[in-house]
Amino acid sequence: MALACLERLTYAYPGAPPALQDVTLTLAPGEVVALLGPSGSGKSTLLRALSGLVPHFHGGRFAGRAVVAGLDTRRARPAELAGTVATVFQDPEDQVVMTIVANEVAFGLENLGTPPAEIWPRVERALASVDALHLWGRKTVELSGGELQRVCLASALALEPRLLLLDEPTSQLDPDAAALFLAAVERLGATVVLSEQRVGRALELATRALFVEDGRLLLDAPTPDAHEWLAANRPSWTSPSVVPTQSPTRPSETVLALRGVAFGYRGGPAVLDRVDLSVGRGEIVALSGRNGSGKTTLAKLAAGLLEPDSGSVRRVGRAGYLSQDPGRYVVRETALAEVALAVQGGEARARAVLERFGLGWACARHPRDLSSGERERLAIAAVAVAEPDLLVLDEPTRGLDPHRKLELGRWLEDYAAAGHAVLVATHDHELPAHRRIGLSVETTQAPLAGELVAV
Amino acid sequence: MSPGFLSPAPAAALLAAAGTTALLADRLWAIAAIAVALLAICLRAPAERRWIYLFGALSTGLGVLVFSPFLWSSPEGRLLWEGPTIPVLGPLDVTTVELYEAALNALRLSALALAFSAYALLLDHDRLVAAAGFARRSALAVALATRLVPSLERDAAGLADAVRGRGIRLEGARGYATLLSPLVAGSLERASSLAEAMEARGFGRSGSTRAPRPGWTRRDQLALPLAAALVVMGALWL
Repeated sequence: MALACLERLTYAYPGAPPALQDVTLTLAPGEVVALLGPSGSGKSTLLRALSGLVPHFHGGRFAGRAVVAGLDTRRARPAELAGTVATVFQDPEDQVVMTIVANEVAFGLENLGTPPAEIWPRVERALASVDALHLWGRKTVELSGGELQRVCLASALALEPRLLLLDEPTSQLDPDAAALFLAAVERLGATVVLSEQRVGRALELATRALFVEDGRLLLDAPTPDAHEWLAANRPSWTSPSVVPTQSPTRPSETVLALRGVAFGYRGGPAVLDRVDLSVGRGEIVALSGRNGSGKTTLAKLAAGLLEPDSGSVRRVGRAGYLSQDPGRYVVRETALAEVALAVQGGEARARAVLERFGLGWACARHPRDLSSGERERLAIAAVAVAEPDLLVLDEPTRGLDPHRKLELGRWLEDYAAAGHAVLVATHDHELPAHRRIGLSVETTQAPLAGELVAV
Repeated sequence: MSPGFLSPAPAAALLAAAGTTALLADRLWAIAAIAVALLAICLRAPAERRWIYLFGALSTGLGVLVFSPFLWSSPEGRLLWEGPTIPVLGPLDVTTVELYEAALNALRLSALALAFSAYALLLDHDRLVAAAGFARRSALAVALATRLVPSLERDAAGLADAVRGRGIRLEGARGYATLLSPLVAGSLERASSLAEAMEARGFGRSGSTRAPRPGWTRRDQLALPLAAALVVMGALWL
């Protein structure tokens, strides 16, 4: 018997065109389903329909039927479905309610009326199942993104749901943390719907794949068939998005030179110590490393947003910086105004850059109405429009689907080839780079040579 | 106030009593002693978290100390400085009485802000929510609002970086004021996401239970009469 089914489901958010159109789908107990699709295609909406958040929380127009564990979601509110269904959202910071980890995991159990004597044992089991038992008494504000996301998964698992919905849960994690997270999902035994932009990993885990585009379900097939369909119809989704990178052709004038740089945040230990790094014109340098290894700090020092405690930073020309999670930091009322901000309102230039990033249609839209992937692209456009000599990007592929990531890689190559220098802090080894520099606590506490790892 | 020393509810009661006593007391030394004690408690929080609270609390007090002698005029006391008479504000002068009153009010305000800082920085808000025998939703709302301060601080820093990263210089209070509207919009968006996540986790469903938590110790039980005594002392003798 099916655990959940959507029957000819069409849904539109208030005042918006349909986000889902005529979607029919059945989920059997124990299935692991990969939910794929471009950013803004309707994946998150589909997950919300399965949890009842659509239409109850968001309002809008809803047609068709969604039945989960025998409950019609038009009548059953999300709080009633909680326990049967559990959701892990994309950004862990937006879903944490309590201050202490154990209390956070207990929160859902308390809401569901679990007998008090059962609560702490279930919290313990859930934290242990995601290798996070050591976090029991820690404050949630002090955890890394990876740790917090595992706590969110534990909070969902503690409810022992029959249907677990995961909305790009690894987008903020480094590869090791993402692997740990997905390994925990693999051990569950519940029905899982996993929305992911890291297609390879999702398909390894899943027995079945769905592909959504423009709100329509284009593919619903077992994983092997899905591989074939993707290869034939969406080739960029099956092959890694590595763009062939050639060495910089012109003589490389140094645009950025860090010498013996040390830095520590107020009241904290040194994050970087005696770091040397240089980036030349026409060159793309990638900084990789685990969460907390100092990539963001190094990127901010390079862009001039932080001043080193000691050592020197020399830059030639202007620097532009794209922060992590840039979609959160929008400051204007329309996408066009957001991009035009850096060029003193030069709308023609801003419009051209928006077109270049596939957002020409969104000029008049409010940035906060865009999907997370679209916002990320908007933020890149808002920095790139001023054509800085040194472009520093911090995790620019987060939330980007494979096709958009390929486009970003090509754009970065073009940008470097036009005589700019690019420094990218990224977990993503599929982005093109002339040099890759691996950061670890050991390397950031010791002299770091720019030519550590050459590609 | 560290975990294990006092349960959160008696600790919150003591902090509230200290703040109230600072407001009720009239003796400068007594209010100063309360403010110093609260400052010492706040200094137990990690440096990277406490600085914004301490900056807010102490700068507010300093502002009152510097400006209020000019905004309030008293004929009593020794005249230390005499300036022009400004329409609406009156004579611009500083007397010893005005300075004394300014110091009193500055310390009161700082003590109140430091009591809140200690509450925000050091208390286990989860246990406070759990301890709320009634109005649990309101207690949770207060706990979430308390967490808003560090979250807003992070978002403000992120916004400033995002704008400076585009080559736009933020200068002075006016420059940073332009970030206020996106900051509010961002925190509303965050609040909406959190509400969605809470609903998905069954918040608001009838028949909720509480995880068992340790009961009050003798020290906790003593804290409540102590808090009441502190307020009475402030009102009658300090």
